[in-house]
Amino acid sequence: MTARRLPSGGVIDRTQPLTFRFDGRVMCGLKGDTIASALLANGVRIVGRSFKYHRPRGVWGSWVDDPNAIMTIRLGDRELPNVPAATTLLENGMEIRAVNAWPSAKHDVKGGLDLLHRWLGAGFYYKMFMSPDWHLFEPSIRKMAGLGPVNTAVYDDPSDQVNAACDVLVVGGGPAGLLAARLAAERGEDVWLVEDHATLGGTSAQVTAIDGQDPEAWVTAQEAAILAAGGRILRQTTAYGIYDHQMVGLLEKFDFAAAPRRWRLRAGRIVLASGALDRPITFANNDLPGVMSLQGAADFAARYGVLVDRKVVVAARGAPAEHAIALIEQAGARLTRVAPDAPLKAFGYKGAQGIAIGGLRRFADTVLVSGGLTPLVHLWRHAGGKLDWCARRQAFLPGAMPIQMQAIGAANGTYSLHDALEEARAAGTNTPVTRVDTAEEMTPLWPKPNSKGRQWVDFQHDVTLKDVSLAAQENYVSVEHLKRYTTLGMAADQGKTANMAGLAAMAAIQDRPIPEVGTTTFRPPFVPIPIESFHGHYSKQLWHPLKRLPLETAHRALDAALCEYGGWLRPGWYGNGAAQTHIQAEAKQARETVAIFDGSSLGKIAVMGPDAAAFVNFVYYNTITTLQPGRIRYGFMLTEGGIVKDDGVIARLGPEHFLISCSSSHTDSVRLHLEAWRQDGNDPDRIFIHDETQAWATVTVTGPKARGVVETLGLPLDLGREAFPHMSLQTTSWKGQPMRLARVSFTGDLSFEMSVPARHAEALWTSLHDATKAAGGGLLGIEAMSILRAEKGYIMIGKDTDGETMPHDLGFTVPRNKKTAAFIGDRSLHSPVANAADRKQLVGLAVGGDDVIPTGAHVVLTGTRQSQGYVTSSYFSPSLGKPIALAIVAGGTNKMGQDMETWHKDARTSVTICPPCVFDPEGERLNA
Amino acid sequence: MRDDRNRWPAPIARRDPMTVGAAQLQEVALTRQTLVSGPSVRTTEAPLIGWPDLVLTDRYALCLRRDQVLVVNGQEDSPGWDATAQRAVSDVTDGYRVFDLTGPSAHDVLQRGAEIELLPRSPSVARQLYGLGCFLYRVGRPDHFRLHVSSAHADAMCGHLLAAMKATSEVLSL
Repeated sequence: MTARRLPSGGVIDRTQPLTFRFDGRVMCGLKGDTIASALLANGVRIVGRSFKYHRPRGVWGSWVDDPNAIMTIRLGDRELPNVPAATTLLENGMEIRAVNAWPSAKHDVKGGLDLLHRWLGAGFYYKMFMSPDWHLFEPSIRKMAGLGPVNTAVYDDPSDQVNAACDVLVVGGGPAGLLAARLAAERGEDVWLVEDHATLGGTSAQVTAIDGQDPEAWVTAQEAAILAAGGRILRQTTAYGIYDHQMVGLLEKFDFAAAPRRWRLRAGRIVLASGALDRPITFANNDLPGVMSLQGAADFAARYGVLVDRKVVVAARGAPAEHAIALIEQAGARLTRVAPDAPLKAFGYKGAQGIAIGGLRRFADTVLVSGGLTPLVHLWRHAGGKLDWCARRQAFLPGAMPIQMQAIGAANGTYSLHDALEEARAAGTNTPVTRVDTAEEMTPLWPKPNSKGRQWVDFQHDVTLKDVSLAAQENYVSVEHLKRYTTLGMAADQGKTANMAGLAAMAAIQDRPIPEVGTTTFRPPFVPIPIESFHGHYSKQLWHPLKRLPLETAHRALDAALCEYGGWLRPGWYGNGAAQTHIQAEAKQARETVAIFDGSSLGKIAVMGPDAAAFVNFVYYNTITTLQPGRIRYGFMLTEGGIVKDDGVIARLGPEHFLISCSSSHTDSVRLHLEAWRQDGNDPDRIFIHDETQAWATVTVTGPKARGVVETLGLPLDLGREAFPHMSLQTTSWKGQPMRLARVSFTGDLSFEMSVPARHAEALWTSLHDATKAAGGGLLGIEAMSILRAEKGYIMIGKDTDGETMPHDLGFTVPRNKKTAAFIGDRSLHSPVANAADRKQLVGLAVGGDDVIPTGAHVVLTGTRQSQGYVTSSYFSPSLGKPIALAIVAGGTNKMGQDMETWHKDARTSVTICPPCVFDPEGERLNA
Repeated sequence: MRDDRNRWPAPIARRDPMTVGAAQLQEVALTRQTLVSGPSVRTTEAPLIGWPDLVLTDRYALCLRRDQVLVVNGQEDSPGWDATAQRAVSDVTDGYRVFDLTGPSAHDVLQRGAEIELLPRSPSVARQLYGLGCFLYRVGRPDHFRLHVSSAHADAMCGHLLAAMKATSEVLSL
């Protein structure tokens, strides 16, 4: 190949030379070049290696259809792998290396793999490496596979993500797209035009006149008119996918390695003017560097001023091909034409030196081929549009479309500029587009199965005609199976060059018409999209933001270790250094004196209205209707399947006013659960649900000295045992602010829960903390709280229960047997499964030895490994001076006193099944 | 459990006004926010604000859904069920933090968090912005947006808004 830069023409800026390196060689390009055009202009023939056989590869196409030129590029301190050279603009100083080749694309040490091609056909890996074990081979195969390695450097400039809407989106800034956009904009519609090149005009550079005007002037006039009418034009922007409700994904590129911008554009209607791609012809050695797309060569000449070669052999047919041939001849090439349907065979080593037809050799370093045009219908299919097979054009064309979308120009199979502009006028004025039927009838030019030589269908993945035949032989005849068995059309190609040849070959092998074989499914993205563009600024703490407590600043001042619990950032313990030391000390102190705990994240959901009592009674397993105002009751919320969904306490603030205190992590789901049932089977005008969780902050004082600490607040209440018993609630005020004061306990000790409007939380916390310290007490984090509640056998839903736990498995049997009113889950509690003898039930474990059993350890019969259940909570109890554990065990309540073992990673510990509550079982401290 | 105290920067109790490019973010102190539900609250509470209505009064009611409004700067009301007025009342003043986003770029900033267009109209001001629930409406003039976001997620919302303000300003500087 002796490609060279033409003295004039193209949209490149000849006054701005650029220097770059390719595989270590210094080269020059011009501003406006793509990397591919610059490489061609520098006479580079081998730009990469194929995926499997490491065959040398040259540039095939000039834009998104090129499967071969894939590079790792470094510019300054930025390096990106797997950059398509045909769609990436050249920048000064780029260090470019071909992927999948070492030390260079020209001299690749793995090139010898091609000698083994007879044994490496499609499905080779699936068959060869299954025995004795795929995992033996996997590491080395993975090491060999893949393209460019990902750079481990992190670039901290997030991609911009923008939502937008418009009346009309025109995809493609060629002549048809420009005219359609102009007409729509001039009608007063809000028009967006996106063009994936840096310049507008599409194939206008390849024609001498548009509508009787100079093409460049015509393009400039259209652009000016669109902008003047209020339209918007985005260059270097690719519409990569169409999603539900006409949402179009756009990727706007900037300078190399600068984070792209991703648009989510909701378009009222879409005009697809995305053009068409050249189709390869399948013949022997058609993958050699130097065999390239005729339309691509024409584009290189017209757009970049690069003539691919002076001496060229052409195998092509069709009117668009004739136009391209004329353009290349005009640029100075001497052409020899061969019949495209003859038995062709390219010859040469590491590059084409010509083409042979039978015994006749035509010498030329470049062979330009065109098997016809394939309309770019990817977006059409993303949107759910149908495809119709056109025998005259030998192509799939846009058919019926369920959404507001029209295809025009080459994307619609209309290759004549005049007819394309007519379609653009229709689309621009929002009238139906009528495709002009072509007079020309293309004769089929498809692969011929069983013909001689290695004939490539997919250049990137080394899929040959023989592989397609093999797939058919092994009954992978569906195109979807063919694709996955052979990898045809996968990765960056997405069917752009390989699809038609592959499905036509399968059609020929099966002797079926092409439309009957069909196409594979087109899915976004149309071109490779950096994953970075999807996360944007949604990273680090903004990726999954935790809920923050109103008292977090106070906790930080007290050296709290802040940890995630159920979507909240909460104090796990207080202090630096060894966590367990602090946790044990906190638990001990709370039992011996008093401690304060931040319970602000606990759910506080108000249920109000004339039917509130009946509703709460319905959504809870426990009977609530008998609950008196000012009293609190513990209860379970079940799913319809009878599974425990949440537990918590329900306070009755008034006859028609309840407050549900649910688990911190379940607040949102409980609110939704209540809303769903409120609106389903109940009168939503008589029940109202308010989530007040974040309006109130809650501080709990717990421990033998809790009453004394609360008394320091000077509340106008009698806090005595009789006046304010366990499981009751009073509303009062503190420092002029409302306060809800509840006697409820999750530690098993005397406890008071105080809730105030969140802005007063710090004042309350400070007062209580001071009083607690004065009483010899301290702080209580969630880890220590977890020990205290486990000593009492109090469960945490989701930790001490699983997806099958019902309330009677936890020892709560009365409502199931006696509650007469309907409640959610009732029916399921009486099923055979619910009554099975081997249900896993909550038990305690008396642990032999001093070591804490790992949570999750299996509970097994002594001497066996047959799991009977597992440990759900396990701690060292500083109050009891020994390990404690809760578990759910099959038939657990009938195993009280039975000696068993826990088993975890071959370690066994002797345990005895016991009641879950191992501290103050009579509840004297609780009711103190 | 992992100690993440240093992974999460301390929350900001009250944010000072911040200007990035052509957008300004400022926390707003409202006198009161009252959640009111009932079968006819949309007719009894006024002025009722939906999207893209402009708020022109100090006291107003944000329409959240068919039977629920958030009364802003209303009178103190007893919490609970009012059988006479057929309304359920909760004071949620501390449940939501409120921010004003103003300036020529304010709409562009919001568009980085969700599809925010003036049309179609919506009776409700409830939105998902940057994946977080909020109430969004306009106050006084077209480029003055106000957001109510749950207090626990207020810092996250500010983080999103500031990131979007930065991105928007970089576009303007191009």
